[in-house]
Amino acid sequence: MSTLLQEIEAQIAGVKTAVARQNVGLVREISDGVAKIEGLTDAMLNEMLDFGDGVMGLALNLEETEVGAIILGDYKGIKEGQEVRTTGRLLQVPAGKALLGRVVDALGRPLDGKGPIATESFYPVEKIAPGIIKRRSVSQAVQTGIMAIDAMIPIGRGQRELIIGDRSTGKTTLGIDTIINNARMNRQAEQAGDKSYRPLYSIYVGVGQKQSNIARVISVLEQYEAMPYTIVVAASASDSATNQYLAPFAGCAMGEWFMDNGMDALIIFDDLSKHAVAYRQVSLILKRPSGREAYPGDVFYLHSRLLERAARLNEQNGNGSLTALPIIETQLGDVSAYIPTNVISITDGQIYLETDLFYQGVRPAISVGLSVSRVGSAAQIKAMKQVAGRIKLDLAQFRELAAFAQFGSDLDSKTQAQIERGKRIVEVFKQHQYSPIQVEIQVAVLWAAQNGHFDDVPVEKVKDCQGKMGDYLTTRKAELTGRILKEKALSDQATAELKAAVTEFKQTYK
Amino acid sequence: MKISKQARREAKSLFRICVVNGLLDDNRVRQAVQQVIAQKPRGYVGILSHFQRLVKLDIARRTAKVESAIPLAPPLASGVQNRLTQIYGAGLSVSFAQNPGLIGGMRIQVGSDVYDGTIQARLAALEQGF
Repeated sequence: MSTLLQEIEAQIAGVKTAVARQNVGLVREISDGVAKIEGLTDAMLNEMLDFGDGVMGLALNLEETEVGAIILGDYKGIKEGQEVRTTGRLLQVPAGKALLGRVVDALGRPLDGKGPIATESFYPVEKIAPGIIKRRSVSQAVQTGIMAIDAMIPIGRGQRELIIGDRSTGKTTLGIDTIINNARMNRQAEQAGDKSYRPLYSIYVGVGQKQSNIARVISVLEQYEAMPYTIVVAASASDSATNQYLAPFAGCAMGEWFMDNGMDALIIFDDLSKHAVAYRQVSLILKRPSGREAYPGDVFYLHSRLLERAARLNEQNGNGSLTALPIIETQLGDVSAYIPTNVISITDGQIYLETDLFYQGVRPAISVGLSVSRVGSAAQIKAMKQVAGRIKLDLAQFRELAAFAQFGSDLDSKTQAQIERGKRIVEVFKQHQYSPIQVEIQVAVLWAAQNGHFDDVPVEKVKDCQGKMGDYLTTRKAELTGRILKEKALSDQATAELKAAVTEFKQTYK
Repeated sequence: MKISKQARREAKSLFRICVVNGLLDDNRVRQAVQQVIAQKPRGYVGILSHFQRLVKLDIARRTAKVESAIPLAPPLASGVQNRLTQIYGAGLSVSFAQNPGLIGGMRIQVGSDVYDGTIQARLAALEQGF
């Protein structure tokens, strides 16, 4: 009872006795989540507006005689002539470790029924990206657990790497595998008490996705115990265009909290194509001039200001990082369309997924020729650089020679060997979804492939051999793999031990 | 009604012509409207529509509405009027109204600016807080 009385006293004391000037306006028009308001002469861009009854809005259009605002919440109760007030605040979302393991909406409100989020940190949704001086070049790896990416298209902490492809080519799966792998590494380091390891926290932003898809993602993350290190921001297809427009920025704000506090975070935007469509809807209703494909003129700026907020900060600014993996869906493989080309030019590389490869059984269906990471080997550990340096070239040569594969009997032995090696490397890079591979096992397998230990294995048995080799090294040679992981390099001794281990395994493998 | 950009521009320049020494001249406004109707330039309905809106907004900016629960004493009323004129300049038209629903205090609205010192507003703020 006494705490209740104290609370009431605090509330009464908090009501200011001085009369302050407020700025008001009247709703002139309301449609599809967008309100046109007359008055509000002091409204600022992106300012929060109070429509009463807990409904808030965001001022997006400041015109001579009216203000155009998007409604954050249920707009069905808003009437023409209703009073609207400015708040003097920018839109903010809760941020902090309290959000880990939670599913929230675009405004940071919980959706998972696990109660309110206890956090005292609030970050602005729209924020200027870190300046040039605050940044540092990318040199730490993000281990996705997907061999094809970690070996040939390595991603670093602080990088923006686009995942682009047609529908159902495995784009979301790449992101989820990365989250699962990093959660595993975080848990491993915690259990081992490794203070030198920097955990990578993940944020998955679902924009315009089916609710069943988002539910499936959450259940996979829970199944693989990745949720304690993950925040899910959901703005599904049934949410308003406003929420879908804001969700990536809200997720980015949550990621920036980690970055500004000296930690590393990864954010996956799934996907930015639907984000652009939501922004187009909002802009058209606001009567902004439309351009190519009816997108507003600033659709490039929409994504550039979002993705520029992913960065690696220098020591003086906390040494944190935010890595972004935006996803773009193409139509019929057209990467030269408007939104895909925009985002390709913004990001530091792309992972291109091809439908043809997917249906040929090459999964992940990564087109090595068209995929690139502009950070490159600076984001790889030394061990990986040692074994994966030639792989991309070998695969490129294999693709060139593949056309001659049908004339196998007419080729010289060297070309034949190259083709056979290439087939086995393609098999090695195939991977089941939700099965990320530890980096030390990747190094060992790639070393074995490069040194011809798979050459005598039939192509159709390479995956089986690889799986059993991985199990063998994990169970029987844990000391060796642990050393590779710790040293992050293949010393001469480690190489000799690895050779002996692989030879020993091959003797027992049938 | 969709008003073209050209019509908006012309309405705006017409409005500027009607402003004398920073204040809207009523006679000029009447003359402007009569001239436009008489000459009927292209898109004149849109021009007049937007012109009307600009005039309406300007009048709202120069109109102060003072609401109180009970009629204000003359010295208080003139004090309020003088202070508002000091803040918003000459040409401000002040009107006084009674609204028992406010319970006590005063609510002043000048254009988009609202000064709300009523008991009703403070109760609403308390309710919001709880």
